[in-house]
Amino acid sequence: MSCCNHQQVDLSLLSGVLEEYAGVKGSLITILQKTQEIYGYIPVDAVYHIASRTGATPAKIMGVATFYSQFRFQPIGKYLIMLCKGTACYVNGTERIFDAIADELGIGNGETTADGLFTLSVVSCLGCCSLAPVMMINDRTYGSLTPDKTRKILRELREEAAKE
Amino acid sequence: MSEIKLTINGIACTGTQGETILTVAERYGIVIPTLCHNDAVAHYGACGLCVVECEGTPKLLRSCSTLAADGMVIHTEGERCVQARRVALELLMSDHDGDCQGPCRLACPAGTDCQAYVKQVALGNTKEAVRIVKQRLPLPASIGHVCPHPCEKDCRRGLVEEPISIALIKRYMSMAELQDPDRWVPERAAATGKRVGIIGGGPAGLTAAYYLALKGHDVTLTEQMPQMGGMLRYGIPQYRLPKDVVDAEVAEIADAGVQMENGVKLGRDVSFADYRAKFDAVILAIGAWKSSPLGCPGEELGGVYGGIDFLRSVALHEPLPIGKNVAVVGGGNTAMDACRTAVRLGAENVYVIYRRTRAEMPAAADEIEEAIEEGVTFKFLTNPAEILGAEGKVRQVKLQVMELGEPDASGRRSPVPVEGKFEYLDVDSVIAAIGQKVDPAGFDVELNRRGIIAADESTFRTNLEGVFAVGDATNRGADIAIAAIGEANKAADVVDSYLRGAIVPYRKPFVSKRSLTKEYFADRERIARVHIVNRPAEERRRDFAPVNAGFTAAEAMREAARCLECGCHDYNDCALVRHANRYEIHPERFAGEKRQHTSETELVTIERDQGKCILCALCVRVCDEVAHQGLLGLIGRGFTTVVKPEFRDSDAVKVCASCRKCAEACPTGALKILK
Amino acid sequence: MKARIVVGEGSCGLAAGAGAVYDALQAALTADVPATLGITGCIGMCYLEPIVDVYDAAGALHRCVRVKPEDAAAITAAVKADDFSGLGELLISAEDETFLSRQTRIALRHCGLIDPEDVDDYTAGDGYKALEKALKTMTPEQVIEEIKTSGLAGRGGAGFPTWFKWNAARASEGEEKYLICNADEGDPGAFMDRAVIESDPHSLIEGMMIAAYAIGAKEAIVYVRAEYPLAIVRLTKAIGDARAKGFLGKNILGSGFSCDMRIKAGAGAFVCGEETALIESLEGSRGMPRLKPPFPAEAGYWHKPSNINNVETFANVAWIILNGGAAFAAMGTERSRGTKVFAVTGKVKRGGLVEIPMGKTLRDVIFGIAGGIRDGREFKAVQLGGPSGGCIPASLLDTVIDYASLQATGAIMGSGGMVVMDDSTCMVGVAKFFLEFTTKESCGKCVHCRIGTKRLGEILQRIVDGEGKEGDVELLEELCETVKAGALCGLGQSAPNPVLTTIRYFRDEYDAHIRDHKCPAKQCRPLLTYSIDETACKGCSLCSQKCPAKAISGERKKPFKIDPAACIRCGACAAACRFDAVRVD
Repeated sequence: MSCCNHQQVDLSLLSGVLEEYAGVKGSLITILQKTQEIYGYIPVDAVYHIASRTGATPAKIMGVATFYSQFRFQPIGKYLIMLCKGTACYVNGTERIFDAIADELGIGNGETTADGLFTLSVVSCLGCCSLAPVMMINDRTYGSLTPDKTRKILRELREEAAKE
Repeated sequence: MSEIKLTINGIACTGTQGETILTVAERYGIVIPTLCHNDAVAHYGACGLCVVECEGTPKLLRSCSTLAADGMVIHTEGERCVQARRVALELLMSDHDGDCQGPCRLACPAGTDCQAYVKQVALGNTKEAVRIVKQRLPLPASIGHVCPHPCEKDCRRGLVEEPISIALIKRYMSMAELQDPDRWVPERAAATGKRVGIIGGGPAGLTAAYYLALKGHDVTLTEQMPQMGGMLRYGIPQYRLPKDVVDAEVAEIADAGVQMENGVKLGRDVSFADYRAKFDAVILAIGAWKSSPLGCPGEELGGVYGGIDFLRSVALHEPLPIGKNVAVVGGGNTAMDACRTAVRLGAENVYVIYRRTRAEMPAAADEIEEAIEEGVTFKFLTNPAEILGAEGKVRQVKLQVMELGEPDASGRRSPVPVEGKFEYLDVDSVIAAIGQKVDPAGFDVELNRRGIIAADESTFRTNLEGVFAVGDATNRGADIAIAAIGEANKAADVVDSYLRGAIVPYRKPFVSKRSLTKEYFADRERIARVHIVNRPAEERRRDFAPVNAGFTAAEAMREAARCLECGCHDYNDCALVRHANRYEIHPERFAGEKRQHTSETELVTIERDQGKCILCALCVRVCDEVAHQGLLGLIGRGFTTVVKPEFRDSDAVKVCASCRKCAEACPTGALKILK
Repeated sequence: MKARIVVGEGSCGLAAGAGAVYDALQAALTADVPATLGITGCIGMCYLEPIVDVYDAAGALHRCVRVKPEDAAAITAAVKADDFSGLGELLISAEDETFLSRQTRIALRHCGLIDPEDVDDYTAGDGYKALEKALKTMTPEQVIEEIKTSGLAGRGGAGFPTWFKWNAARASEGEEKYLICNADEGDPGAFMDRAVIESDPHSLIEGMMIAAYAIGAKEAIVYVRAEYPLAIVRLTKAIGDARAKGFLGKNILGSGFSCDMRIKAGAGAFVCGEETALIESLEGSRGMPRLKPPFPAEAGYWHKPSNINNVETFANVAWIILNGGAAFAAMGTERSRGTKVFAVTGKVKRGGLVEIPMGKTLRDVIFGIAGGIRDGREFKAVQLGGPSGGCIPASLLDTVIDYASLQATGAIMGSGGMVVMDDSTCMVGVAKFFLEFTTKESCGKCVHCRIGTKRLGEILQRIVDGEGKEGDVELLEELCETVKAGALCGLGQSAPNPVLTTIRYFRDEYDAHIRDHKCPAKQCRPLLTYSIDETACKGCSLCSQKCPAKAISGERKKPFKIDPAACIRCGACAAACRFDAVRVD
C-alpha cells in the first residue's frame, strides 16, 4: 500500500508460522500477530507472502491488519512508549504527560524519533487505572506520572541507550 | 414456505417466510430508500436509510435485513424514519467531497449544463450540445453573443490559468446548428387543451412560451413592439447581436408551436381583463423598459435621453439625434452599449460619466476595454450635477467631482462629492443609462415597494388568480437576460403543474459542492485559453458588424477540451443526491472535517474517487460475492476507512477481470467506468 | 509450619514495583529465615500496591502495604523473629482494612489469596468441585435451572439473563456449538476481568467448562485483549494445567463430556466487545458487527450456535453450582441478584476493585469503601459504564446499584468501570473525551456511528475551544437521539450516552463554555486566563524559569507578570508556584 515504505525483509522467517497456521481456518489475525512479533511491524512483502500461502487476497489481509490498532506498518523505535489515555488517566491529566513526551522527544502520536530510539503510541487503556496516569515502555509500566517524572524517565532511557 | 400477512403503510401485504420487509414492500410498489442494499449480495445494514417503524417495537428496524413476520404493522414514512434518514443523509453529505454539478452550471442563473455541452463540442457533436443547452435555454445563439457569462467567472479552470470560454463555445455551437438543416428539433408533448397567454416577447416570455408549448399547452405570446425579442432586439446593439440571429431563434420557438402576436399592446389594443378571460393562465413578462431619471436640474432639456430609449430608436432605424459630443451616464452594460453605439453613429467625442472608478464598474470587462479601444473617454469619479442648456437644448453638463469613501452595504466603496469641485463638458446630448424601471400601467396587479410586480419567489404567482410574472418586471427588477430566462424556465414547470391541477412550487435542488483553491491545481498542466482576435477598433467603430467572428470549429474544440469536468458523471443516476433531495437535507449543520482522500486509478478500467465514496462497501462485496475476486478491501477503521484495491505492481491489474460490476453497483459517482 | 511471604503480582502491583520487591525479598530470604516466598494475584487494593502478605507460622496474616525493596530486610527480620510489631507503618491500617471488610466477594473470591500459577493451590480449596458436581450429579438442564434460580445476569454490561442465553444455545440445533468468553475488556477505566484472569484463572476455566456442559459446546474460546499480556500468560498456563489434570479436554473427570479450550488474543479494537464483532474477529476478519437477528445462539462462530459471556459472569458460575442458585439470589435486589465487581478509580482516596451485593448505593461505594474524594476537593460526578455509560451527579449518589435504577439515570451498569470525578473535571471535556474514543473505535460500517460520533466530537471540541454557538447543545441532543436510534450495534447506540447525561446533569457547564466563554472546572485551556496575584507573589522567579513560552517576566523579589498574548496556558507556572500566587480564571 502506498502508506508503506518498501523494506526488504527475510520472508523465510515466516515459514514456521505459516506452516502452523496457513491451513487453519480463521487464523489470519494470529498469523499477523506472529508476523509482527518477528519483524516488529507488518511488512508489505509479508502481506503478499501470507496471501500466497493462505489464499486470502492482499486486499483482505490489509483490511484486517489496518482494522486493529495493534498492527503497525512501519518499524518502531527501540523503546515503544504506550501512553494510556483511559478514563482514569484522562481525569488525572494524561494530556499534560503527552505534552511533556511530545516536547521532550519532538514527536507526535504514532511517530518515531529521528534517532530511531522512541516511538510514541497513545493507547486506550492499560488497565492500571489506580496508578493513573500511566505509560508502558516496552514491557515496563510506569505509574503516577508527572510531566517532570516523565521527562526524567525518557532521559534515563536515552542515556541507557547511549551507553550500549 | 409458509405465507405471512403484514400491513405496510396501511396496505395488506403477503409474503413468504424468510423474506425481508424491504423485499415485500418492493413487491407492493412501496419504495423504501437504501444506499447499501443490493439483491445480488448479502445484506449489510450500513446506510441506515431503510429503517422502518413496526408497531409494538420501540426500535427502528432495518428493513433490508429484518425478516417480515406475520401480523407486523409497518410504517415506512413516519416522522422518526424520516428524521433518521434525513440525519443519515446529512451526515453522509457532510463527509461527501464531490461536485454534483460543475461551478459553471451552478453559476448559470438558468442552470444550463455548461460542462455537458462543452464536452459535446470537444467531441465535435454540436447537435447534441445544442440539444443539451436547449433543455434550459431556447435562445443559445443570442445568449452566446450577449451573455456576461457568470459561468466563466466561477469556472475552476480559472484556478489553473484561465476559465473556459464558455460563452464563445455556446455561440459557436448554436450558430453552427442554426445553419444546419438537419438540426435537432424538440418533441412536443400531447396537447393538453390548456391555453396560456404570455405578455412580453423578450427572453423571459420567449422561454416560458417555448417550454410550455413543448409541454403540450396552447401558448399565445403577445408583444407590443413590431417584432419579438424584447431587449435582445431593441436593447442590444446589432454589433453585439445581429438581428438575424434573434430572428432565427424566434422562428424556432414559433416552430415549437408558439402562436405569436406582434404589435398588440395591453390596455390599448385589448384590456387585461379580456386577455385574462381567454386563457387558463397568464404570464406577465413585460420587462423593465423605462429609463431611470438622472434626478438633476436640466433633465427636461432636449437632447437628454434614456439609455434604453436611445438604443431602441437605433434598433428601429430611427435614431434619436445625439450630435457630435455625447455624454453617457452610468457604468453598466447599457451604458457601454449606448456609448459604443454613439461612436458608431458618428459622434466625435463620447464620454462615459461614472461616479466610481473602473474597478467598481458593473459592466463586463471586455466591454469596457473595447469601448476604450473605440475611443470612448471615461470620466471616472464624476457625477452630473446639472445639465446646462440654451434654447431648450443641451449645451453643457456640469460634473461634480467625487472621491471614494467608506464601503457600503454591497462592499463597494461609495462615492462622496468633493465639496466645491466641479468640471464642465460641452455636449450636444446626454444619455442616462443608470437603470431601468418597470412600467406596470394597465396591469391591475400588486406591486412591491419599489413599484415592481410582486410575484411569489417559488411559484411566480401574483395576487391575481392564474396570473404569473417573471423576468425583469418582477421582484428584484432588471437583471441580465439569462436570469430572466432562468426564472422563465422554472416558471414554465410551475405553470405546467398549475394547469395540470396541482401547483408544485420550484425548489432549489440540493447539490454537493467542493471548495477548491489554486493550490489544489498546482500540479495541473497549464493549457492556455484560446483567444480570438477582434476586428481593429478603427474599423469596427465605423459599422454595426460584429466585433469578432467567434470561434472556428477547431478553436471551439480545442477550447472545449480544456474543461476539467468538475461536475459528477453520475449526477443523474446518483442515489445519494436523489435521496438528499427527497428528504430536504441541510448538511451544513454538521459541517466538519472530511476524510482525506486522493483520486486513484489503479484498476485500469475504473476510475475511483474516494471523496464521493460513502463506504456502503457494495463494490467490495460485489467483488467478493458476485465476481469472486476479492480485489477490493476496506482499509483502516471508523471515520478514516477507505476502499482500496490491491496495491502493488501490475498484479492487481492482471487479476482484475474488468467485469465492472463494482462500478455498476456503486450508488454514487465514486466509481467511473473508463472507456 | 513455615511462614509464607506472598507478593501481590497483578499488573497493578507489578507496575507499582512488586517485581523489585519480590527480588529483594528473595535476596533477603536467607536460609535462616523460616519462610517460603510466593506470589498471588491482585487483592484489589491497588492504591496500596505493592502489597506483601505475610502468613506467620500460626497462619495469621500480616499485610504489608506500599512496600519498597528496601523494606525486604525488615519483613524477613520480622518473620525470623516472629514479631511483626516493628513493621509499624508498613502494616495495613485499620481504616484501610475496611476496604476489604465492607465487600462481599464471590467473583473475586480467590483473588489475592491463591497463587494463580498453581492449579494445586486452586484445588486445595474448593477448586473444580463445582465442575465435578455438575458433571457427575446434574443434567445440563439442571445446571441451567440452577443458574436461572440464581438470577445471574450478564456482567458485561447489558444485564441479559445468563440462563436464557445458555438455554437458547442449548436448544439450537446442531452438534457443533461454541462457548466463547469475552475477555476483551475494552472500557477505559475497567480492569475487573483482567484481575480475575491474572489472579484466579481457574475459576474462569471452571465456570466455562460448566457452561460448556450446559449448552453442549465442544470447544471453548477465550478472546482476550492483546493489551493484557500477563493475563494471557497466566491463562495459558492454567489451561495447560487444567488439561493435564483432566478438568478440560477429552472425557472430563471421566464424565464422558469433552470440551477443549483455547485463547485467542485480540488485536486492539473496542468494538470487538460487541458479540457479533467479536465473532467476526475470532474468524479472522475485520471486527465489524453483524446484523441481528440471527443471534449468536442460533448462528454465531462459523454460523454455528454460540454462547458468549464475559469473564465476571463465568467467575460466578462455580460458586453458584457449589452453593446453590438460591444463595446467590439471596444477595442483591429483587430484580438484580448477586454481587457486582467495580473498578473504582479517579479522584477517590482508595481506588481498586470493589465487589458488593447489588442494592448498595453509589455513596456506599464511593464514600464508604473508597473513602470519598482525595485532596480535599468536592465530588462532582461518577462515570459508569465507560464510553457507553454516563455521568451521574452528586444529587443522585443515593441511587441504588441495580440495572434498572442505574439505567434510569441515563447511565448504565456497564461492565463495572466507576471513574470518580471531582470539581476539577470539566464535564464537557469528559463528554469530548468519550466521543473521541468512540470515534476512534467506531468500526466505520454504519453511517450514524461512523460520521455521527465524529460530528458529535467536533461540536464538543468547538465548545471546549470556546467556539461553541448558541444552539449547539440542541444540535448535540438531536444528533445523539438519531445516532442512538440509527446505529447498527451497541457501540453506536450507546455512544451518545456520555453526551446526553452530561447535558442532562451539567447543562450549566455547557452554557458557561458557550455563553460566557468560561470553563468552570478551569480545564479548557483556550478559555483560561493565567495571572499572578501581586500580593501573594514573592518574586522568586520560579514560574518564569518553568514557563516554556517565556511569557512571564519580572524582577526578583518583586511581583512577576504574565503576558496573556504569549501565554500558552500550559499551567506550568501554577504547578511550580510555591506561594499559590498564580490565578487561573
